[in-house]
Amino acid sequence: MIAEKTNTAQQIIDAISPKAGKVGFIPDNVLTNAMLYLENKGIPTNKHEDYKYCNVDAILKKEFKNIKQELKTISSVNEFKLEDTVTLVVVNGNYSAELSDKIVLKGLHINSLNNLDAEGKKQIASIADAESDAFIALNSAFSGQGFHLKIEKNAQLQIPLHVIYISSCEGEALVNPRNIIELEANSEATIIEHQIAFGTGKTFTNFLSEKIVKENAKLTSYSIQDEKENGFSVNTNQVKVERYAKYDNTTITLSGQLVRNNHNVVLAGENSEAHLNGLFMTGNTQLVDNHTLMDHQVPNCESNELYKGVINDKSTGVFNGKIFVRKDAQKTNAYQSSKNILLSDDGTINTKPQLEIYADDVKCSHGTSTGKIDESAMFYLNARGISKESANRILLNAFAGEVINKLEVDSVKEYVEKRLGF
Amino acid sequence: MSNEILEQHIQSEYKWGFTTDIETETFAPGLNENVIHALSKKKNEPEWLLEFRLKSFKVWQTMKAPDHWAHLPYPKIDFQAISYYSAPKKKPEIKSLDEVDPELLKTFEKLGISLEEQKRLSGVSSNIAVDAVFDSVSVKTTFRETLAEKGIIFCSFSEAVQEHPDLIKKYMGMVVPHTDNYYAALNSAVFSDGSFCYIPKGVRCPMELSTYFRINASGTGQFERTLIVADEGSYVSYLEGCTAPQRDENQLHAAVVEIIAHKDAEVKYSTVQNWYPGDKDGKGGIYNFVTKRGICLEDNSKISWTQVETGSAITWKYPSVILKGNNSIGEFYSVAVTNNKQEADTGTKMIHIGKNTRSTIISKGISAGVSNNSYRGLVQIRKGATNARNFSQCDSLLMGDTCGAHTFPYIEIKDKSAVVEHEATTSKIGEDQLFYCKQRGLDAEKAVGLIVNGYCKEVLNKLPMEFAVEAQKLLAISLEGSVG
Repeated sequence: MIAEKTNTAQQIIDAISPKAGKVGFIPDNVLTNAMLYLENKGIPTNKHEDYKYCNVDAILKKEFKNIKQELKTISSVNEFKLEDTVTLVVVNGNYSAELSDKIVLKGLHINSLNNLDAEGKKQIASIADAESDAFIALNSAFSGQGFHLKIEKNAQLQIPLHVIYISSCEGEALVNPRNIIELEANSEATIIEHQIAFGTGKTFTNFLSEKIVKENAKLTSYSIQDEKENGFSVNTNQVKVERYAKYDNTTITLSGQLVRNNHNVVLAGENSEAHLNGLFMTGNTQLVDNHTLMDHQVPNCESNELYKGVINDKSTGVFNGKIFVRKDAQKTNAYQSSKNILLSDDGTINTKPQLEIYADDVKCSHGTSTGKIDESAMFYLNARGISKESANRILLNAFAGEVINKLEVDSVKEYVEKRLGF
Repeated sequence: MSNEILEQHIQSEYKWGFTTDIETETFAPGLNENVIHALSKKKNEPEWLLEFRLKSFKVWQTMKAPDHWAHLPYPKIDFQAISYYSAPKKKPEIKSLDEVDPELLKTFEKLGISLEEQKRLSGVSSNIAVDAVFDSVSVKTTFRETLAEKGIIFCSFSEAVQEHPDLIKKYMGMVVPHTDNYYAALNSAVFSDGSFCYIPKGVRCPMELSTYFRINASGTGQFERTLIVADEGSYVSYLEGCTAPQRDENQLHAAVVEIIAHKDAEVKYSTVQNWYPGDKDGKGGIYNFVTKRGICLEDNSKISWTQVETGSAITWKYPSVILKGNNSIGEFYSVAVTNNKQEADTGTKMIHIGKNTRSTIISKGISAGVSNNSYRGLVQIRKGATNARNFSQCDSLLMGDTCGAHTFPYIEIKDKSAVVEHEATTSKIGEDQLFYCKQRGLDAEKAVGLIVNGYCKEVLNKLPMEFAVEAQKLLAISLEGSVG
């Protein structure tokens, strides 16, 4: 299908341009291309194959007719802090050194994207191509002043970093958080990215993160999405994994009216591996769309995906995972699994697991299943005097547990379990 | 080792690539309303059919050719360069086989579909009634009288239009409306002939019904229509086969197949598709853009598609089932083989509307050479389709590192009682499997044949016996010597 262009992008540009400062750190050619892309292609509608089940254009048109960009400041984030972690804070897309913890960790360097040296600057937009997707383009054109985080060679961060992305506004606003996370060779870190919305305004968060995991480094990343019913977001993670490196991500969607995740992982070095896990439990009229791409570019890499969804009320869950094995990527091992439970008759679950394979000596498979709560398991519990509600909770907890247990930081796991009512 | 044998395979030739020197009457290339008027007049069609054609043509003109299909790059087709009617001159009024043009009979004999043999075999229990479609026109339908005794109508589409206009009027376009898609609209406007089959209430068709399609003339397209109606409690097994001569040009085949199954009826539709696939450089070959769809209209009905796809330069085909009746069943079994520069994009759609509906999808793709083989399918559970059940399995086998195998399943569920499973794997023939066979004295080629046949067995088993033998041979030829 040929995607038709709408004028939504232009309206957004017109609404936010007056209050947007010049984005100094984005290279000029990237900026130009981003604007050109938006002009020519616009915001994707459901005619766009990648956005078939997630018509962002229509949602923006309906919910963000009157973008005022009246952003509010935040005085404290204490209530959101997690135990045994170091907190970094990004308010409305801008990194806030004042609100962040002032602790010096060996091997950790944090810098505002504005203050990068020549080497750091080179990494901006180095793996997120502004001409590949409308939201990368939009972020590149109006990027907030995010941060550059670097873990030095051979450094192993003992304490997890907790990055709080908080958005707060009056009326309607669009924010574009952006960051670069770089793990140098042999380093290790755990980073929790936590998105929340504060106050009564309606925000559209267009998040973009470029993550580079260098030789033999190991990045464990958790994305906790909790922007409540006034939060709309498109979150793009562009990840490059080099030789012998490992990338591990678990994305938990707790709330948000629209949550679209584009998780694109490039396995660029031999013997690298990547694991993506996801859990979404939706209700009301929420729309949660997880889109993943595993791009196997070289031989001997391994990837794994496990996404689970529980859909209730009139909400919609989507999983679209693509395993792409390039011609030279022999001996690839790629596995993908998507499991869903539909709890209501008004809910919808759409899945599209894709395999695109151009190498012959590979082991690739995907499996997806959708079903209901197992009646015999329910009967077993009921027969032992457990009420229907409790039994439901136990069974859902068991279903979701497989993903929740991937969270290896206790305070994060507790927070998630508490929020889900387990 | 594998490369050598692959090379050999790539050089294996299409055996059905001859042309038949037979006198034909062919329209000058081009497409406009006049051509449609002329076509309709030639076939002595009633007014309503002409209107249907013109209506479709108007719709078609407003549609855009689907040029944006993933993994399916193909040059633009010039619809004005195609002739929309080509028929053997000696067509009219054939009462017995003796009156059929001997050249034509020879052609079918070469194809292994000897009409003569069919005649001789009559009375044998496992016989087949054949409707042979040569270029655009059905030349001979065998066993008509035998079938008529049971009340079964099996004839060419044109005859059906003359003899059973009420049935055609009632059912044509019911499952594939003329507005459905670009090629279905084109077919609705210019279809030349095809087969029609009606099984009356409570009748179990005593023999396999078969249509054999052959494109012969150059510069023509083949646009046939098949319509199968199974009335309450009836059963029919229907076979379809096809070949075309070897030419440097690409020829278009845009067919429409519609199946309607009433209460308790069952239709089994099997295809062995072996259109000319083009040479090893991708020159020539058939563009096979067909729309096949069945509807389980009432309760307890069943439609089963089985296909073995080995031919065509480009195959684009999604035999689908609309499960409207409660307890209805849809099945799709497919083996698709691509080699050289072939492209296949095939799969199915299972639309669950009725309660307790079930569907099964088994798809086996084999790619070799520099071909691309995709499975593209949709399983849709509509709201209210209580207790719907689907199981899908899509396996791909890659031979060599220059081909591609892809899976694009779409799963849309709107009912909480649905249980849907989908599995897909991609792999190559295991070195250990090959070693095992070779150690027991099989050469590499035979070992591959054995393994591939085993890999496809689930699907081949679903074919009627006569076809299964042919399909196995075809697989062996198509993959001669491909070792992954």
